[in-house]
Amino acid sequence: MSATSVDLITQEIVEAALTSAAQEMGGALKFSSYSPIIRDMEDFSCAIFTFDGDLVAQADYIPAQLGAMSLVVKSVIKEWQTDINDNDIFICNHPYQGAMHLPDINVVAPVFFDGEIVAWAGTAAHHIDVGGVNPGSEGPDLKELFAEGLVIPPTRLYIKGEENIDLVKTITANIRDPLSTISDLRAQRAACNLGRNRLLELIETYGNAVLQQVFTNSLDSVEAAIKYRLRELSDGVGDAIGYLDDDGRNGPPTKVRVQVTKLGDSLTIDLSGSDPQVAGAMNVPWSSTRAGIVYAVRTVLAPELGTNDGLLRALNVICPQGNVLNPFPPAAVSVRHNTCQRFADTAIRALVDLWPDLQVAGSSVTFFGCNIGTTSPSTGQPTVLADVVGGGTGASAEYDGLDGVDTYMSNVGLMPVEVLETNYQVRVLKTELIDGSGGIGQHHGGMGIRREYQILEHSQHATFYAEQTNPEFVALGRNGGGDGEPAKLTLLDKNGDIVPIPSKVSMDLEPESVIRVETSGGGGFGLPER
Amino acid sequence: MAQEYWTISIDTGGTFTDSVARADDGTMLVAKVPSTPDDPGRALIQSIDVLAGQGLDVKNVHIICHGTTIATNAILTGQFSKVALLTTSGFRDVLAIRNGTRPDIYNLRVPRPTELVTRENRIEVRERITRGGEVLQKLTDNEIDRVIEELRIIQPEAIAICLLFSYSNDDHEVRLATKVREAFPNLSVSVSSEVVREFREYPRTSTTVINAGLRPIVGSYLEKAQQSLTDSGITAPFLVMQSNGGCAIATRSASDAHRLVLSGPAGGAAGLIQLAKQHQISKVIGLDMGGTSTDICLIKDGLLPLQSSQTVNDHTLLAPSVDIHTIGSGGGSIAYADITGRLKVGPISAKAVPGPAAYLRGGNQATLTDAHVVLGTLGNSNLASNLTLDKNAAVRVITELAGKLGRDVTETALAIVSLSVAQMVRALRRVSVERGLDPREFTLVPFGGAGPLHVGLLLRHLNLGRALVPNLPGLFSANGLLTAGVRLDAAQTLLTPYAVNDIESYALWFAAKHLELAEKLSSDGVEQNQISFETAIDARYLGQGYELTIPLTPTVAGIADLPELFHKAHFDLYGHFSVYQPIEVVTLRTSAKGAFPEIPPAPLEIGNQAPEPQALIGYERVIFPDFPEGIDTAHYQRERLLAGNILDGPCIVQQMDSTTAVLPGQRVTVTLLGDLLIEEVNS
Repeated sequence: MSATSVDLITQEIVEAALTSAAQEMGGALKFSSYSPIIRDMEDFSCAIFTFDGDLVAQADYIPAQLGAMSLVVKSVIKEWQTDINDNDIFICNHPYQGAMHLPDINVVAPVFFDGEIVAWAGTAAHHIDVGGVNPGSEGPDLKELFAEGLVIPPTRLYIKGEENIDLVKTITANIRDPLSTISDLRAQRAACNLGRNRLLELIETYGNAVLQQVFTNSLDSVEAAIKYRLRELSDGVGDAIGYLDDDGRNGPPTKVRVQVTKLGDSLTIDLSGSDPQVAGAMNVPWSSTRAGIVYAVRTVLAPELGTNDGLLRALNVICPQGNVLNPFPPAAVSVRHNTCQRFADTAIRALVDLWPDLQVAGSSVTFFGCNIGTTSPSTGQPTVLADVVGGGTGASAEYDGLDGVDTYMSNVGLMPVEVLETNYQVRVLKTELIDGSGGIGQHHGGMGIRREYQILEHSQHATFYAEQTNPEFVALGRNGGGDGEPAKLTLLDKNGDIVPIPSKVSMDLEPESVIRVETSGGGGFGLPER
Repeated sequence: MAQEYWTISIDTGGTFTDSVARADDGTMLVAKVPSTPDDPGRALIQSIDVLAGQGLDVKNVHIICHGTTIATNAILTGQFSKVALLTTSGFRDVLAIRNGTRPDIYNLRVPRPTELVTRENRIEVRERITRGGEVLQKLTDNEIDRVIEELRIIQPEAIAICLLFSYSNDDHEVRLATKVREAFPNLSVSVSSEVVREFREYPRTSTTVINAGLRPIVGSYLEKAQQSLTDSGITAPFLVMQSNGGCAIATRSASDAHRLVLSGPAGGAAGLIQLAKQHQISKVIGLDMGGTSTDICLIKDGLLPLQSSQTVNDHTLLAPSVDIHTIGSGGGSIAYADITGRLKVGPISAKAVPGPAAYLRGGNQATLTDAHVVLGTLGNSNLASNLTLDKNAAVRVITELAGKLGRDVTETALAIVSLSVAQMVRALRRVSVERGLDPREFTLVPFGGAGPLHVGLLLRHLNLGRALVPNLPGLFSANGLLTAGVRLDAAQTLLTPYAVNDIESYALWFAAKHLELAEKLSSDGVEQNQISFETAIDARYLGQGYELTIPLTPTVAGIADLPELFHKAHFDLYGHFSVYQPIEVVTLRTSAKGAFPEIPPAPLEIGNQAPEPQALIGYERVIFPDFPEGIDTAHYQRERLLAGNILDGPCIVQQMDSTTAVLPGQRVTVTLLGDLLIEEVNS
């Protein structure tokens, strides 16, 4: 496409219109979806892509999804090439074809103008269940992708505007709560259609040539801004190591190592010192590692900058396949987000190793998740409770950490008790901040959360997991600030007696058993006042 | 003719308190006095004194209506009462955890959200109600006594009670509240099932706490104001504008203090409805631009757009509020070059102090106002409030910025204006296009001090048919207050599947509420034949988390239409619907409205097509975006224009409280009511 001159004002206006289109898509998805994990906890993302799949604009929901989604669009383009038609909508949750783990289903739509693809609108949303051996389609101890759930490669959810009934029937037959999942997919489609309409309106106003040039400029300017920022900073080498509690199967700790070299305006990120891929489901598919890199770099270098794929152009990344951060298929990946959070924490530490002015204390990487195969009190039908509990964030030179929030690459909300109990045969006995869990310091680390779930009515299969339970791997304080407290997972039987469990588990629970999670606190910053 | 009665409206803003008094013969008096944030009531009384000095007969005031920022400011500045919060045991941190997300995901150094109730003032109460409203753990009298003892130690200024699932069974809340009120007869006690009976514990808790924290402040303010008015000889009902765009009697407003958070901007919205009615236009976009921000509000078919929830200084507030979209763009917005050398404007503002450089009050950063001074759009003479604009100072700061951008002064000033206009255009599109409405069908109404300055550019960039600049744009919000009428809302959360058998009970609920609300309105002095109702049911597909508000007739036949209306609304919004999925009835809503007697505006004297010679101030060179060399531009005095006058663009119309800038190719017609109708000539 030939270069069209776009003045700065038009650039600014169209860029903002793209972001607001992505935000609007998010609104349509949130307000018309069924599952609390989407509608109340906002575990979804929306973005706009170039004709060849680079992400150019996003609504700031979940960095772990946003930094990966363009790989799905690129997979769709690669798989379907010339057989992509107007009003087709594609679906994909394949972690080895751009997606992150099976519950995160991507739904993406090409935007056609004058018979050609000019852009894409896409969504990723966490679904409560996509089949597999465990309700919720996650299992720390699983060894193969095939056990984790239904793998959907890039396929057509809608063919020229018509729902692809064969596919929908196949999905319906393989999942535990089809009404919720199929309805949530329709909400994703509504969001994609809305995004497409907004792009077509922009083309009507400014013309496609201008839109394409805005895309190019937008990617270029993020790349330039990162390079500009790098040039401002001193050269050097950073190196950080972080550990996961185990490998997902109660094995030894798994090492994540990030080495960075900054010279002039180039930044090399070398992950090859991390452990080889592991037996359990803690492996991180490349798409999620890529998202972690985008997150760590933007957060340390330019939080205020818009994100798009231009950022990656400024980086040189080394991560051989077979590494826990880039596994060979069909390694299981369902609990990859725990590794992602640890990776983000480690990458940020490696970067601020170079530039102490930018340092902050460590945040919680507990990322407690639970999936409980339960029933709906109103319909009696099987469904899955999927909840996530955040922890404390690290303090900085300026501020105390935040209490009880999802951290780093994730930003999933806590399910309201009144929503949870109305939808599932589970009761919440307690949701509170944990006194003293944040590291002390001139500025305190944020507090972790204690939440208790009680199983009601009938035996229910639960998968739940927490990281950072090992006191050696807590959120680190900085500049004399204290470390955060580790996380703790406790199972109580119906008599209130403690049942010993590892930090990641999948098991049947009898009525009245209680899962108690205590997430970790953030690190403190600076010496505490005496 | 002697004036039989007067109405007064007083709008307290951040900088000025504006007031308008109107008599039944059409006489209108206006006053603008500096606001007195330390004691807002003082400016209220000063306003009355100024109006009385101009001929207002305080003894014959029939209604006085007030728009206030007292509630907003209390939250924003942290001058919030010391609240004790009573929660279900195990859940005292619901208020602190909020929804568990971070506002700024890419930033690891962010301030903590403000805390409305400190942790030690959140008391847990041993009790538990289930989702179905059954009692799981009974609230005992001993427990209530224990809680009261804890309260005595805390010594709060107000008490909020929010227990889990109280929307489905309020028995524990009510019993607790009764005992607490007996123990603390002088404290206001806010109970979630009374304040906002809706589900999801965090927004309900936060709203109840906001209500509790504001009640003492708003209550004492309104009480003092009422007393001062009485002392001034005014015995008329004292009404306060609520966030929902209707007024309520001041004595009742204190207990509904959380409903006053958007009291200020709601007056402008009410004014827009009135203006649309006078001009018989169905679609209006209002743009209220002040020094630091711009409020945008879209009115369709004479109806106020309402939203059920908003965020105020980090906190969620559930209260029907006029849907106003605010952007951080105002006359004082600061322009700067970012790290990549690109021009940015706002959202940081120079505010009133130090203000734009041209004000010579110590401002040394380039602002939007300075750009207009450089371009000549703002004239170089004087503004309202005896402020003189200094062009040299404006040129100096814009030149400095131009150096960083590598451009010349004119280019930079034009770029600042264009960027600001682009932000406004985006916001205007956000409230129109993004809701599926074509802005080209709307009439733009710019008001506030800086709105009319951008009317020409907005008209052109949005490709709008026309714009109306109201009489006295700076006093538009104050003027709007009285047109709103009284409004009371009622709601009941049900969360039950829609069933034909229940229709009758819904109709009965509406009927009973209507009687109750009508009684309240008539005790506020509204005539029975002036009362009307708006009813709606919030519904969703069973399993969805958010509902659509479906307006309907509250009769058995009307409620029976709910499924059909709901499927259609869902399809219109999201592109799909399913008649096979059950519908859930979430909330029944009704609001009662009582109109005030209307005083018709006095028409303007009719003149010729050509303005009178004395209306022309003179010609000055003004730079417009497509005319960087500048054009000789006529400057008119608005107060000297007559109905029927036609002014060709480019022209600048100056008046006491605002400046209207019209582009080449546009034309101004002065309407019979004195508003300026602005259109593109070739459209």
